[in-house]
Amino acid sequence: MDEQNYIEFETYLSGDMTANEALSFENRLKTDSELKESFQLYKETTSFLEHTVKNEAETAAFKENLQKVSKTYFNKIKTQQNKGKKGKTFSLFKYAIAACVVLLFGLFMFNQYATPTYSDYSNYGTISLTVRGDNDSLLEAAENAFNNNDFAKADEAFKSLIVLDEANTEFKLYRAIANIELDNFETSDTLLSNLQKGNSVYKYKAIWYLALSKLKQHEIKDCKAILKTIPEDSDEYNQAQKLIKKLD
Amino acid sequence: MSEKKLHEDQKYIDGLLKNNSFIIQAIYDKFVPKVVNYIRQNSGSADEAQDIVQDILITIYNQCSHKKLQLTCPFDAYFFLLCKRKWLNQLKKISKKEVTINEDVLYKNDEAQELAFETSTFAEKEALFTEMFQKLGTACKELLQATFKIKSMDEVANSLGVTYAYARKKKSLCIGKLTELIKASPKFNQLNS
Repeated sequence: MDEQNYIEFETYLSGDMTANEALSFENRLKTDSELKESFQLYKETTSFLEHTVKNEAETAAFKENLQKVSKTYFNKIKTQQNKGKKGKTFSLFKYAIAACVVLLFGLFMFNQYATPTYSDYSNYGTISLTVRGDNDSLLEAAENAFNNNDFAKADEAFKSLIVLDEANTEFKLYRAIANIELDNFETSDTLLSNLQKGNSVYKYKAIWYLALSKLKQHEIKDCKAILKTIPEDSDEYNQAQKLIKKLD
Repeated sequence: MSEKKLHEDQKYIDGLLKNNSFIIQAIYDKFVPKVVNYIRQNSGSADEAQDIVQDILITIYNQCSHKKLQLTCPFDAYFFLLCKRKWLNQLKKISKKEVTINEDVLYKNDEAQELAFETSTFAEKEALFTEMFQKLGTACKELLQATFKIKSMDEVANSLGVTYAYARKKKSLCIGKLTELIKASPKFNQLNS
């Protein structure tokens, strides 16, 4: 393209042409497509330069601002991503371990500090009164009532049985247990105290149940004192010692 | 253009133009996560997504500051299309390895396609002009920078110690040179075809 054309473009665009010059230039643009194309590009280039140079400061400010927002946003995303990668498996472990610790600690605390209760120890199971005699039906009633946890009925039956057989320590022990269950501690404790003083095979069992009766009555001090009277050679010794430890 | 209804999302375009930090932040919070997901699903990383997003926002800014950019579709569609195209082009360029492209996320919005096309054409043209401007001689570059910064050709002539007519002539020849460089570039013909 001729240099003269560029000078003409510039003169036209800067408004330095006379009206006639401008008119003849515009007419040439209409007929000369190559000139028109060239002028279009010249105009476009001028506009590009104008905006680029004019907006330099604004564009720089925009880019700076954009970079700030972008950095903050993507740093957040990337840390989340990293956390996610390491974290998902790791945190599961962490939670599992934490849960185990809590559970173990809980169990420990429970065993350590949970006050032992009567029902934890009253493991008398079912009884079997296989004594043959005149009072079979009464024995059976007592046995059944006791084994079915109908302690009121059992108490009545044992009471009748003891009237008939005053020396029977077994009946007395069971009647005492039935009365502990019924919270008739006066009756149970009297029976057990008598057994304790005697020399029957139920002596130490009676002491053990007397202690349990005190436990049920929340008389911890008495309970412990009674447990301590159980001698080492008796069957009840080990469980008595364990219960003492828990009550401490 | 005038009969087309302006979309309410034009506020994002206007916000960018005004360099409004809240709007920029809102764009990142609302529209960028989708772009990041798309790029990650298509062989890219968060770092690459960051660059793509930033480039596209600068392009949009440049376009709306050079010419009016009137959004006639949701910003989301327009912006996502631009980012997606830029990423796919980059993938084609940088990697000879196989590229898995997830084409599920597509916009059937013609308006968005059209606008996005306009914007990418603008961006390519701008890149071409900038590249060619750098090829000009130092004297031309300085003169053009001075004339467009100062605006008044009289002042430019004064500061350069030349006459107004000479300054104007020099300016026209420099711009003419630039148009020749642009025209000679193969990219120019691709853009105009």
